[in-house]
Amino acid sequence: MSELRVENLSKSYGKTKALDRVSLTVNPSEFLVVMGPSGCGKTTLLLTILGVLRADEGHVYIDGEDIDDLRISKRNLGYAPQDFGLFPHLITYENIAFGLRAKGFGLSEIDSKVKAKLSQVGLEGLEQRKPDELSGGQKQRVALARALAIDPCLLLLDEPLSNVDEVTKADVKANLKETIKRTGVTTICVMHDPEDALELGDRIAVMHTGRIIQCAAPKDLLEHPSSEIVQRLLHHLLKRI
Amino acid sequence: MTTRDEGNKSSNRRALDKFNLGLRLMAGAFILFMLTSLFYLYVAVGNSWNLVANALFDSRILGALWISVSSAFIVGALAIAVAIPTSYILTYNEFRGKQLLETLLIEFPQTFPPATVGLVYLLMLGPGSPINIAYTYPAVLIAKLYVSAPFALSFILRRFREIHKSGLDVIAESLGGETRQILLWVLLPLSSIDILGGFSLTWARAMGEVAATLIFAGAISWKTEIFPAVVYLTSQSAPEVALAASLIAAMLSIVALMFFKWVAGRRR
Repeated sequence: MSELRVENLSKSYGKTKALDRVSLTVNPSEFLVVMGPSGCGKTTLLLTILGVLRADEGHVYIDGEDIDDLRISKRNLGYAPQDFGLFPHLITYENIAFGLRAKGFGLSEIDSKVKAKLSQVGLEGLEQRKPDELSGGQKQRVALARALAIDPCLLLLDEPLSNVDEVTKADVKANLKETIKRTGVTTICVMHDPEDALELGDRIAVMHTGRIIQCAAPKDLLEHPSSEIVQRLLHHLLKRI
Repeated sequence: MTTRDEGNKSSNRRALDKFNLGLRLMAGAFILFMLTSLFYLYVAVGNSWNLVANALFDSRILGALWISVSSAFIVGALAIAVAIPTSYILTYNEFRGKQLLETLLIEFPQTFPPATVGLVYLLMLGPGSPINIAYTYPAVLIAKLYVSAPFALSFILRRFREIHKSGLDVIAESLGGETRQILLWVLLPLSSIDILGGFSLTWARAMGEVAATLIFAGAISWKTEIFPAVVYLTSQSAPEVALAASLIAAMLSIVALMFFKWVAGRRR
């Protein structure tokens, strides 16, 4: 189980600062939720850790090793984007097997790993379906299984519940939480919904205009908001609860 | 079926609209304009059918059939083979002058007069140059490739960019995929219809190309003479041969293009 450390990460798009000296540590096996409104920089943070974006300043460390110059394919990070990013031409089985094939595993090993992941996320029987034959919740499970199949050192989730319908959301959320706890993978998950964030995260990092303004356990966050901005943000975000 | 029925109903309602009637008239006029020449070709063929029928099996026509079809297929395949790596490089690399390079590779060859293309190749690779391939079959391929490959490139490049924008390549990369896997397992399977589309348009353009080929490769029967060259060279002296060549070329193109569309439809 790996530790993620982000140090003084900054990233600007023209004059807009998407990330402003962001520092945080995600402990081994911890589930950290980065929460904040749209445009606060949370997806930029995720994509910088993934290696799609390059930070203007700062560093990303996994288990103390600077990964800034490591290619995306060599970082061994499990990533599931907001739209799940399933390969539309591949069936569920092949979607999950993709990373294992790319990493050169043998056929029998691929088969046993894919079957294990299918059962772990409750997708047995859907192996032969293509993404357009799956519901939002099922797609989310395939994306999760595919990201976990490569035994990543870190799991990066971008709004995993935003394309899941309300009826199945509770199930998908429970499965997500249970699967991640069972595998013990260190997870950083971007979310805008406070209800989901507080339910899933071991800790919540609240982001606002490119900065992390508070990082605390859900209970502490609710009881001791560190600033008026957090209070307002939480109030604004929590008004539905 | 319900959706289609509803769609029909709503388009019928829209048909009552005067503006819609105007659109139909304009579209009808254009369709008539485009189809008249093809229809007239068949009328002309019908009027001198006996002469044309004899010309159909003329050795010169059969030679042109072989050169045109074989070169168009080879050019289509070559165009795809070079358009895939070029599209990959243009999708994943940023460099100075990229816009200009793309214009020179895609739009410019479509506006550059084919006769000039033929002349340039004749000067560059003709009798006056150390590598003389003028008036040979490879000259046919080179002239056609320059004029028609941009179609394949523009189709494939557009699709690669769409896939890149969707982020599926990043997912593949995060899962450990390197260039080979991203290309073979993601980009190419997701572009198969566009590759076929690029191939069919390249093929069609290569079938129709004449000026560059005529200047650089000449019109030697069974060696470099293609259908349009036969039409051009015999339109005065033996119009029945020109008509026969036109008829075969038109029929062949329609059948081939419909076949490509059918294959693309099955894959979709």
